[in-house]
Amino acid sequence: MDRTTSASMEMRSEGLGTTPSEHPAFAGRIELPYKLTTGRAASVFLAELASRRIVGSRCPSCARVLVPAQDFCAECGTAAEELVVVASAGSLSGFTETAAGVLGLIRLDGASTDLVHRILDAGLADLQVGQRVAARWAEEAQGSVLDIVGFAADDAPAASEEVRPLSDPSDPVIEQPYRLRLDYQHAYGPYYGRLFDEIATSRRIQGVRCPRCECVLVPPREYCDTCFVRTAEWVDVADTGVIKAFSIIHLEFVGQVREPPYIYAEIVLDGAATRLIHTVGGIEVEEAMERLHPGTAVRAVWKDGEPVGTLEDIVYFEPVFDD
Amino acid sequence: MFGRAINRVAVVASAQTKLRDAWSNRQHVDLISEAVVGALKGSGLRIEDVDFVIDCGSDILDGRSISNCGFLGAMGAHHKEESRVEEDGLWGALYGATKIGSGSAEVGLVLAYSKPSESDVSAFYATQCEPFYQRPVGFDHAAACGFQAQSYLASHSLSEEVFADVVAHDWALAAANSAVELETAPTAGDVRASSRVAAPLHELELSRPVDGAVAVVLASKRVAQRVCTDPVWITGIGTAMDQHSFAMRERDSLPACAAAAEAAYRRAGMDGPEGASLAELSASSAATQLMVLEALGLADPGGAARLYSEGSDVALNPSGGSLPADPIMATGLVRLSEAALQLSGRVGHGPEGASSAIVHGAGGVGMQNHCVFTLEV
Ligand SMILES: [Zn+2]
Ligand SMILES: [Zn+2]
Repeated sequence: MDRTTSASMEMRSEGLGTTPSEHPAFAGRIELPYKLTTGRAASVFLAELASRRIVGSRCPSCARVLVPAQDFCAECGTAAEELVVVASAGSLSGFTETAAGVLGLIRLDGASTDLVHRILDAGLADLQVGQRVAARWAEEAQGSVLDIVGFAADDAPAASEEVRPLSDPSDPVIEQPYRLRLDYQHAYGPYYGRLFDEIATSRRIQGVRCPRCECVLVPPREYCDTCFVRTAEWVDVADTGVIKAFSIIHLEFVGQVREPPYIYAEIVLDGAATRLIHTVGGIEVEEAMERLHPGTAVRAVWKDGEPVGTLEDIVYFEPVFDD
Repeated sequence: MFGRAINRVAVVASAQTKLRDAWSNRQHVDLISEAVVGALKGSGLRIEDVDFVIDCGSDILDGRSISNCGFLGAMGAHHKEESRVEEDGLWGALYGATKIGSGSAEVGLVLAYSKPSESDVSAFYATQCEPFYQRPVGFDHAAACGFQAQSYLASHSLSEEVFADVVAHDWALAAANSAVELETAPTAGDVRASSRVAAPLHELELSRPVDGAVAVVLASKRVAQRVCTDPVWITGIGTAMDQHSFAMRERDSLPACAAAAEAAYRRAGMDGPEGASLAELSASSAATQLMVLEALGLADPGGAARLYSEGSDVALNPSGGSLPADPIMATGLVRLSEAALQLSGRVGHGPEGASSAIVHGAGGVGMQNHCVFTLEV
């Protein structure tokens, strides 16, 4: 059977120029846990909030009091090692309102710089540059800048501009947990779109042929990576192939989708010039270490039921041994 | 002087995809290859002539780390010297021009791309914020834009009405630019009627994130004069970065932008922006656009709004600029491409008889970083 289809680059579900919402997208997420090192100045600033003290650092070059405390003065490039306590009230020097609520820039009494924080119990119409505000403290300290819940309007007159040296500091908060989470809706584009459509509708894997080097590229793409010429022809490739390289994964890591141990392999499908990364299964790890080699033949094991149109429709590739 | 003391560098070709809300039917690679092929087409240069490729984008926006590795084929960068600049594309052009100016290469391809539609722009900017003092309280790029606008109006006793005129001016120009996909351009009234998202700024007073890619071919004087009848010469480049802590920066002006402009003018042998035919600017909001104009020396502090109400000798954002179309990370390189196309007369929307241009790019939360190019034909 001639499995080569000459194609006119017709896009199945991905017709160019139509409105965005018609196109299915691939939902992706990046999620990473961090243990962030706070550094000297922030570690003390965060710890002192439990004692309801706001800590700044004094630059020895320009003598400004930087609040919240900074390890270096960004203007002088000098280490600002002297830690001081400033007032927990001050005046408002700027404000805005976003989806996060009303935010203010606050010049605490004794500070030379502004601090950004939440403004409580006030709409924008109530705010004026220069008005007095004071910190509202959380009931229970967590070692976070949110131990100050925010700043609210305050009638008390300005305290002395004098700053006090930091005495009897608490144990510093040297680390803060942080979890990054980013969500994506990735476009398939015309080439991946057709590849996955073909998998979903007919369990057929397609690549494109480069007219110059004649390589068949899987996944398909508009330009040949090595020749930088436009690929011109859609080609069916087999769901059988050979292992080019493989590794048995025992490591556990964040974002892992399979439980180790499992076999990761680069597979060249019959009819393709490129290596597809997938897994090898249907064989015990011990046996795989003995019997798998570059050149071992494999075939796709398709998932039961309706394919959905991803490479996960192939559960794994199983080795095909001559004996 | 950049253009004369060392080898002269020219912009010899450029191209971009259409900039639109979402290219949800195309991948990054599809946009990149279109821009690269478009830039080389008719340039007299082939991919084989390109000595190096510099690409600019954001791993965070792309949703994959070291994303350039997956895009090399679409850039035509196979087995070439390739570098990624995780900054706006205008810094890629700075890097490329420096390589050619130093004599270490003759032809460079600089490209930048963006698909913010696949991601969340506020989350992207939040990742750039300091994690202990800024992120927990909800500070992000939109808040920075709001603080800047509030501070600018307060410092100069201006009414917030000035912002909508800037937006309407630029969107009308973008609507006339075939490289930007727009259904209709909002009037100043529409702008004021849009929802407030970073008070005092309305939604339309912030730049509109768009998807797209742009590619620019830079060449040495020797190559430029061979392939081009109208090379656009880079005469000056300057760049400067403000401090990271937004709360500690000036908020009613952009001193880092002024420093970048001063360096570019000095290298070009210019006393200031006088005599420039056009300026292509990158701003995240109508307020910071006014501040960019002032930092570039095109208006006095607090006076930039008059360039819109009374007119300007220098054509401002003939392409429409960044407010109607901000392909984050590619915005500044789009400005360079646009300015070069206008100077060489290859697009219809540049001012007649234009002979020199000022190009501005920016990056970071609240526009922390600035880069300025001066060009002439
Ligand atoms: Zn200092
Ligand atoms: Zn090829």
